[in-house]
Amino acid sequence: MDQAVTRIVIVGGGTAGWLAACRIAAAADPGAATPLSVTLIESPEVATIGVGEGTWPTMRGTLEQIGIKEGEFLRACDASFKQGSRFDGWRTGAPDDWYLHPFTAPVESDARTLINSWRDHPDARFADVVTAQARVCARHLAPRQRAMPDYAGALNYGYHLDAGKFAALLARHGVERLGVRHVRDHVVAAEMAEDGAIAAVSTREAGTISGDLFVDCTGHAALLIGGQFGVPFLDRSDVLFNDRALAVQVPVAADSQIASQTNATAHSAGWLWDIGLPSRRGIGCVYSSRHLSDDAAAATLQAYVALAAPEVVDARSLTPRALSFRSGFRERFWVRNCLAIGLSAGFLEPLEASAIVLVELSLDALLEQFPATVGALDIHAQRFNDLFRYRWDRIVEFLKLHYALSARQEPYWREHRDPASLPSRLETLMTLWREHPPSRRDFPQMDEVFPAASYQYVLYGMGFPVPEASLIRSGGTASLFDQVAQRGRALVASLPGNRTYLTALAAAERPLAMEQAS
Amino acid sequence: MSNHAVLTVEEHRELRVRTERAEAFGDGVMCCIAMPDEFRRVQEDYPILFRLNAERDSFTALAMFGLQEGENLYLVDGRWDARSRPLAMEIQPFLIGTTSDGAAKQVHVDLASPRIGDAEGVRVFDEDGRPTPYLERIVDQLGALDSGYQASGDFFAALRRHELLEPLTLDVTLDDGSSNRLVGFHVIDEERLRALDPAELGELHQEGHLLPMFMALASLGKLGALVDRKNWQLRGG
Repeated sequence: MDQAVTRIVIVGGGTAGWLAACRIAAAADPGAATPLSVTLIESPEVATIGVGEGTWPTMRGTLEQIGIKEGEFLRACDASFKQGSRFDGWRTGAPDDWYLHPFTAPVESDARTLINSWRDHPDARFADVVTAQARVCARHLAPRQRAMPDYAGALNYGYHLDAGKFAALLARHGVERLGVRHVRDHVVAAEMAEDGAIAAVSTREAGTISGDLFVDCTGHAALLIGGQFGVPFLDRSDVLFNDRALAVQVPVAADSQIASQTNATAHSAGWLWDIGLPSRRGIGCVYSSRHLSDDAAAATLQAYVALAAPEVVDARSLTPRALSFRSGFRERFWVRNCLAIGLSAGFLEPLEASAIVLVELSLDALLEQFPATVGALDIHAQRFNDLFRYRWDRIVEFLKLHYALSARQEPYWREHRDPASLPSRLETLMTLWREHPPSRRDFPQMDEVFPAASYQYVLYGMGFPVPEASLIRSGGTASLFDQVAQRGRALVASLPGNRTYLTALAAAERPLAMEQAS
Repeated sequence: MSNHAVLTVEEHRELRVRTERAEAFGDGVMCCIAMPDEFRRVQEDYPILFRLNAERDSFTALAMFGLQEGENLYLVDGRWDARSRPLAMEIQPFLIGTTSDGAAKQVHVDLASPRIGDAEGVRVFDEDGRPTPYLERIVDQLGALDSGYQASGDFFAALRRHELLEPLTLDVTLDDGSSNRLVGFHVIDEERLRALDPAELGELHQEGHLLPMFMALASLGKLGALVDRKNWQLRGG
């Protein structure tokens, strides 16, 4: 009989490594004849990047599967609710130039019906009329009430979180409750079997650790997928120009409002992120080093902080952390018995927070058809590689769309509109969307990363022309949006503010934690 | 203690009401009044019993939630485990009042209710001072409760006229061996109801009283469900 896949070895901690360890360990059947064993090797020397501070709504399902209560997660990670992204200044840079990409899909899923109804509201912002979420975000309200069951919401939502605290929570949970074996050691080499698979990794102190499946979560180092297997990195910086970021953390007043969405403000050669947590705001300047000097980027960041966070006494006194990256991904993610998840698989600029969700999707795919035997690994690898190549490509296209629709005149933005920098499928779709709104037809896969709704929000938020009425009849009613307005009124009346919710949560759960400790 | 006030935009623009269901919010009650015109809905979830007032001159109908004072067996895991609740629970902490000249009905609010005054509650008025959908629903429910109350006098009069109520004594032995006795309640006397002549039944039917009477009878099947809930609670479920 073929050798069973039972020993999972994850190389690297951080968000990706610990998410992988927890998801796999939580999904494993403890009653199996030979239960899965999960070992995570984390180097005490390598600092984690810990920049991804926005999650997608998928994180709720992930946390539920792992078995962490929502209140525990929110408190442990200094987390808040994320209901989408707001884009300021992306179209022209004028003061009223902004739009929202909320997580809740428009009220009507049939694109033609939706757009026929939307045509009657030429002056209203698209997101404002098609979903109640826009009203809720504008008022800094939470997407749920505390009395609701964990991970349920009146609106779709993800989280903003402190990535360092998140990895620590997952590590604690994985080791203490899910039985993950945690080895704190430095991996020095991989030992290869005759068939070209990894037989074991050798560590500095803990000796040799053998396994059946190795998950490479070593970040940019890509120790196994890059270092061992030499899988090439496909650079996409010709499409997505940003390659640097400056990040700061800014304290907030205890009673200040916490934004319901990530704010992304365009500047002359990139954009700035602004993410509100209960105790701080994370602000960063993403830019293209070809178009903006580091000093000019620092000045852009300081100017933003001075304007957006006046409670900080002197924006110039902040020392930003500098990061550099390349947008791109591996030609293959899974080779023999090595699967790369996280930054080792690739990285795209932080717009739309695709990093953590790709980790989650990779684990979903792995667990949905978990390889039973070593002999079938190559089949699983092939399917995984096909699926994720498609997904990374489509994410690149979606990110590019944010830039390609701009009318800004700086060289960076003009260059972004150069047809030579557009992926061909996106170019084709943009032509098609002059006649038809983005619909399911344009996104044929079962689990598209970004559905048609996301494209609609960006397209019509950026002022893309609404297609003329088709000669083929379709539905559409003026009253479609009345129900959105009515629901918006009900939600605004019943949802608490983000700050109110999180303060009440902290107050309510403290005695409980003390009880558990005693 | 209660503290009733007339609800106005000027005074209560920022008022918020907690709508969760919990003992802390005043839901730890054994029963509440139910109007005959809501019996049909109430009997889907609760037994309906009748009680004579202290002066022993009039009856009220009650939806039962527990077997003893202060016990609500429908509060489970931080929620109210039923398809619906009687209007008298739904409208809290609001009440129906009248203007000082008695001419018109008003919405009053009990400002001493534990549901009041929390930043996490549901708003009653929106930023522009308009009633929120929540208040709109409350107003509808207060109206329904009021009209149900106005109509209930005739129903109870008919019950008395035909002497259709009989005292109930319910002895329950729970799974842990303890026995509970439910006393002081009345139920509809099925024998006497059956024994009415066709003319009398026709009259009750015409006045709309027959349906709530049968609904109250049917609701007694829910007494067993109430005991089940109690046993389940005793087992620590």
